Amino acid sequence: MKKVLLIIPAYNEEDSILKVYKEIKKYNEENDMVLDCIVINDGSKDKTGEILDQNKIPHIDLVENLGIGGAVQTGYKYAYEKNYDIAIQFDGDGQHDLKYVKKLVEPIMNETSDFVIGSRFVEGISDFKTSFMRRVGIKIISFFIHMTCGFKLYDTTSGFRACNKEIINLFAKDYPREYPEPITTVEIVKRGFKVKEVGVNMKERMGGKSSIHTWKDFYYMVNVCLSILVIGLRRYQK
Amino acid sequence: MSKNLTFFVLFFAILLFLLILYLLKKNKISVRYSLVWFFSSILIFIISLIPNLMTHLANLFGFELLSNMILCMFIGILLLITLALTVMVTGLKRRTTLLIQEVSLLKKELEERK
Repeated sequence: MKKVLLIIPAYNEEDSILKVYKEIKKYNEENDMVLDCIVINDGSKDKTGEILDQNKIPHIDLVENLGIGGAVQTGYKYAYEKNYDIAIQFDGDGQHDLKYVKKLVEPIMNETSDFVIGSRFVEGISDFKTSFMRRVGIKIISFFIHMTCGFKLYDTTSGFRACNKEIINLFAKDYPREYPEPITTVEIVKRGFKVKEVGVNMKERMGGKSSIHTWKDFYYMVNVCLSILVIGLRRYQK
Repeated sequence: MSKNLTFFVLFFAILLFLLILYLLKKNKISVRYSLVWFFSSILIFIISLIPNLMTHLANLFGFELLSNMILCMFIGILLLITLALTVMVTGLKRRTTLLIQEVSLLKKELEERK
């Protein structure tokens, strides 16, 4: 049986983190696949830390706030140390749905893919509402990714992703601190790994605020496109 | 270069030199990073001591005003120094990230063994 770990970054998620953990416990009781989880508490200023301690949720408290990239990488380092076969990134705010975990893990289990991304924009499963401008932004980022590595990625900012052991080792050693989702996808494709996008539904957020704010969206897009172009210039080996 | 300007630049160079010495003595900057500032202060000192050197250079490079060339020179030097600092900050950020991650992982490991 392959060891599967959910990496859950959490920054000020006191409203949702316990609910997410209970859902994982329920999932493990109802399914034959066991999901271990590790919450990375990214220096939360609210009661997230207390909730994690009181309910004995497996977690790592970062001694300083690192931002999403540094927090998620800590999870990959943990997965690497504890010898996990598959790691799944899962949001602590409750917008990801556990019932799609199987769909993400399956292509890795039967070794048809190395990296699987849960996407709101394929297969028409999702009823997720995004603004027109945001969709345009995602299309532009998608175009840049296609241009640099030849892979057509639809949901560029999805943080619901699963990867195999080889990629865990890679991420444990090197992971971008800024804009990690689109950037790592390009890197992974350029290194010659097999990437797959599968349709998932994402729920409205239970609490907390998204790490992407509306007024920062344009700045975010420009930065991501530039970063992708820079990676386009680099050479990678598998 | 006019006499007034020469004096002004000389004064500035000496001030910079003394300031760096002071910072070094107080252990506020390391010798390694102070070198570039020492060199610049000495360079400014020498330049201001050689009469007409800068005027000739300005003519050679096509600057109509000597002060323009000096300004351009300083902006260029400052740009390079800031660029070097940005590179250093990036490196430092990578290292602090690594430290925070490793310390946090170790703390977790410790708690598990308790």
